Parts: sequence; structure tokens; C-alpha cells
Amino acid sequence: MRLTRRTFLGGAAAAAVGGGIYELVDRLGSAPARPLAEPAGMPAEQHLLDLATTHSEGVEVVVPPLHSAVVTANLDNLSDLHGAQRQLEDVLRRIDSTYALTPAGLGVTVAWSQTYFDTYVSAQAKAHLPYDRRAQKSVLVPTRRFPSDPSNTILEANDVAVLLRSDRVEHIDAARKDIFDLPFFTVTSIRRGFAGGGFGGGQSLPKKMAVAAGVPGADLIPDGSELFLGFTSTQKAALGPGTIANHETLGYVDLRSGYFRNGTHMHLSHISEDLEAWYLNFDFDERVLTAFRPGMTNVRQGMQTVPQGPAAVSPEAELVRQFHKTGRFGHSASIQVTSRLLQDTVGEDGTHYPKGTAIPQRADFNTLDNPFAFSADPKHDGLSNEPAAGVHFVVFNPSGDDFERNRLAMDGVLPDGKKLSVPPRNRAAGFNSVLTTTHRQNFLVPPRRHRSFPLAEL
Amino acid sequence: MRVTAAAGLVALALGVLAQGAAGAPKAACPATWARGWQKLADKVGAPVYCPTWMPNPLDAHIGGQYQDIYSISKDRSYLVGFLEHGDLGSGDVHVNFRGYPGRSTIPTCPGPVGDTKVPCFADPVGHMTANGIRATVYQVNQGADQWHVLLLWHYRGSLYTVSQHVIVPYDSATRVKQNLQRLLKSLVLVQPAR
Repeated sequence: MRLTRRTFLGGAAAAAVGGGIYELVDRLGSAPARPLAEPAGMPAEQHLLDLATTHSEGVEVVVPPLHSAVVTANLDNLSDLHGAQRQLEDVLRRIDSTYALTPAGLGVTVAWSQTYFDTYVSAQAKAHLPYDRRAQKSVLVPTRRFPSDPSNTILEANDVAVLLRSDRVEHIDAARKDIFDLPFFTVTSIRRGFAGGGFGGGQSLPKKMAVAAGVPGADLIPDGSELFLGFTSTQKAALGPGTIANHETLGYVDLRSGYFRNGTHMHLSHISEDLEAWYLNFDFDERVLTAFRPGMTNVRQGMQTVPQGPAAVSPEAELVRQFHKTGRFGHSASIQVTSRLLQDTVGEDGTHYPKGTAIPQRADFNTLDNPFAFSADPKHDGLSNEPAAGVHFVVFNPSGDDFERNRLAMDGVLPDGKKLSVPPRNRAAGFNSVLTTTHRQNFLVPPRRHRSFPLAEL
Repeated sequence: MRVTAAAGLVALALGVLAQGAAGAPKAACPATWARGWQKLADKVGAPVYCPTWMPNPLDAHIGGQYQDIYSISKDRSYLVGFLEHGDLGSGDVHVNFRGYPGRSTIPTCPGPVGDTKVPCFADPVGHMTANGIRATVYQVNQGADQWHVLLLWHYRGSLYTVSQHVIVPYDSATRVKQNLQRLLKSLVLVQPAR
């Protein structure tokens, strides 16, 4: 199928809040085979979604949902908090009963911000919000910019964000409508995107979508690439397993009353990706050492799934040594200093996590939003109908501080205070020179039992 | 008629009747461009490639309105660039021609980070054949060819390249490769005067 840029843009403009350009996902990609059986019960965690795995270049990889969306909203006309809590929970329960909690059905994650807790349940929040013992602060920290962020990165203040994940765009659209037709929500943004395909051979969905949209550099993306930047990011061994990102699992967090047991922290950002710079200025070898670490010389030209299991993690001393030797550090190597377990660890529930296990659970997806599919304040958000390559980055960590440690390490700022001194957004600092963060916000994801207006009943 | 005949004789004397790398007779270097390419061939003492087609709006008139860089190094390697810079957002059209007489290996350039050297032309992504020339397509290039897609080939022990910047109005590697294919097809050899 051939799509002209005019056709593509026309479709995007015509359907700002509908399927719009993302309906192409259904035309350009096919849903992977998924088990249709309903899971025996809903997990206590909202952020967990049971994903199948496959193999890519000999490495076990998680197959992400084809479609993802995040809708952010503010609360308005909210005279009856308890009533609103019941109404939203009723809608969510109806959605639960309609769709299996799998990519073939729908995954829904409702996350709440500091703004919500401060405005509507401030007294309860003071008593019940978990406390990060390691950081000696709340698990929900104020949203901040990082050294490689531009000074105009927007720090958002939405009350709530809902992450919707499915292989079927119509499931996402129906649930979005059900939830955000509730009278107390004012939608502030809709963010849509896609991931995956390509593991079975042929062009991946991000490649097809980018080419169809005509974004700069689209024709340079390797055919089977899971994401725009050419490397597979959903290796099973590189993703946090099970409940590791729960507040309580690794012992970083004091749950206090226990109200938020089975909850987690969610960071949401939009990042523009300069695909042309990535593929025209970095040769394959430099893309490898930029994405992973300097000194990786044994990667076959064109390889996309570069093993990143626990054994591939290098210690901080090695990161620093390589930096002093080469003047640069890799994205994975710098983050893994904080995102992987430094020693064998037994979780609160007795689960054994070997040294090198990843902690964050990622749910990011590529997008052609610029920066969003819809914004209630297009001027403020810099909204454009021209498609642009980017990623809606969604990640779950045990606490906001844990996320910040990882993100700072990505900029060469290590938790022990060491700095790998590189100018912000320099080519020597991993991916940073080709990424531009436009928006950021932190959220808390309550356990499923408290997903609707947490603390409102107290 | 007399003028035409005289021009033909001059052209023959300068050696600008073109031949492709395979030796088959081809079109000549356009008359208004030939003098500059002949002077270049004479200066470097080696054959150079003159294009008979350039992406709009450029021409390949050395000394003309679009000529940008004109550089000959001590080792006789040369770089001739043509550039149209659109001040009003219309973009840039930028084409570079290089030759390395007597050299067949890819030169090295300063690396982007630290005190390193990297190949000036890297990430080969395929080949193009036209006009008796089999060229390799390089996607990551340094120096004046940064952000360009580049074709590289050899002729009688020397290395030659032509590249074009990926930028509006030729804003994708695919479109630039189409131009490069046409450029490759249009090249004619200009021999140095004996």
C-alpha cells in the first residue's frame, strides 16, 4: 500500500482525537497471535500486563502491544469526590469485564499526580503516601528537568493520566471514551503510538508508519527495527520482572499505612527523536557504542537485538574507566549503574532477584505525535499536525527518586556524586544528542483496589 | 559552422570528450563547464569526473555562481562543491565531488569524540551501477560530506566520490539516492592534457 504524504496528513488533521494516523497501524501491521483466555484473576498491580515472548536474533524478547495511548486530564466540576470515585470505579469495572487483561483485550493503568493529592486529598496524602527511605522523601517527587533537557521542557501538572494498551485500537478508543465521558474529567492531552512487529521478518510497524508519514530519516530505519532507533528494547532479561517495580518489593520504600502496597511510580515524558542525525551522522559501530557502551566491538553489523541480560551489565568502575579512556559513555552502560541490582536481592515476597536484574518496567512506545495527538492548549504544548518521530516514554519504578537516579545516570551524573563530565546533549553522552524531551510529569500508580480517586474514601 | 568546428577541436585538444569508466564513448562535459574541469584535471594530473547533470538548481560550473569549496591538497586529492543556500527556508542543495589520485583506500578523518580517527566514509548500505561504474553507497560521512549520502568508486587505482546533502528540498535519503543515481549516469571522464 502506498500512502502519499498529503493523504497521510489529511488523515491526521481530520481525526485529531479519533484513530487518525494511528488507524494506519491496523492497515500496516497485523496483531500478533495472543492467547484469548481471560486470566484467572486481576492482579493487585495496575501496571502489570501479561505479555508473550518470542525470539529475535537468538534473544528472548517481550512482544509489546501494538497500540498504546496515554490520556491526561484535569478534574473539573468536582463537587462530590466520593461520588466521582464510585462513578470512575464503575466504569473501570465495566471495562474489566469487557476485555481480557492481555494485549488481545486491554490493559488500563490509572495514575494520579501530586497535583491531585495536594488539591483533593492533601490531609490523607500526608498520612498515607509511601516514603522513600533511601532518598528520604516521598515516593512522588516534584517533576524536574534533567541536565540534558532543554530549558523549555514543559513540566506538566495534569491531575491524572490513564495508560491504555492493546493490540486493538478500537478497544483503546472505546475505553478512552467510556472513561473520559465522565463529567468531572477535562481531557488535557491524548498521546498515541505503536511498537513492535518485525520480529517475524519484514518491515516493523515503526518503520512502516514512519515511511508512510514521511518523517525525516524514515527511510534510514532498519527494516525489522522494533523501535525507530534501530535496536530492540524489550529484551526480557533487560526488563524488570514481575512485581520488582512495586513500591514495597526491594525495600526502598516505607509503605506507612500500606494503602499503596502493590502500587508503583510512573514517569511520563515525550521525547523527540532526530532520526536523520542518528542514521546519517552515527555509523553502525558508533550507534552500538552510543546505545550500549564504548568498547563493544563484537557486534555484527546490522544486529538489532544486542543481548543485555544481567551478565552484560558493567559495574560503575568500568563505566568510569571507559569514559576516561574514550571520552564518552553509552546509554545502557550509564543507566545500568542505577537501573540494575548491584547484588543478589530477595524481594519482600521472597522472590530472588539475581545481581544485574533490571528494576524499571518500561511501557514506552514510538509515536508520530508532534508532540501529542490532541492538546487542550495547543499553543502551550507546541502542537503541530506535521508528524514527527518520537517516543512517549512511560516507565514504572519503585519511587520517583529511583527514576531520577536512572535519568541522571543517563546524563552522566552517578548516584555516588561522580560526574562523567560531558556538555549537555553532547554526542559523547549516549543518545542525548539525538533526543529532545518536550514534556515531563511524575505520577503515582495506586494498586488496582484504590485506582479510582485514591484516598478519597478516607 | 566554423565556430562549432573550432570548439570541437579545442575540446579534443583538452581531452574533454568523455568516456565512461568502461571506456564507451559518452556525452562530453558541457561546454560552459568543461574549462574548469579540464583545469582541475590538469592541476591534479589525473582524470576527473565532470557531471553532465546536476540537481536543480545547481550547475557544475567551476567558478560559477554555485561553486562553493574548491580545494586541492598536496597529495593531489581534490574537493569541489556546489551549493545553493536557500535563505528563505527553501533549503540547501549541496553536491560534492572528490578525487584521490593514486589512492584506493578510504581516508580517515578526525573522530566526532575524543582524539580518534574514523573512516571519512562509513556505513555502506548498497551499490549503484551506471555508466560502467559500480559505486558503493555510504550513509555516514565526515567533513564536508557530513549529513550527505555518498557514492564511492575506483578508477584505475584512484578513488572518487560524489555526495549530496540530505536536506530540504531533497529531504530524504531516498530522494538523494535518486539524484545520485542520475549523477552517476551523467558522469564523463576528463583526462589531463598531455
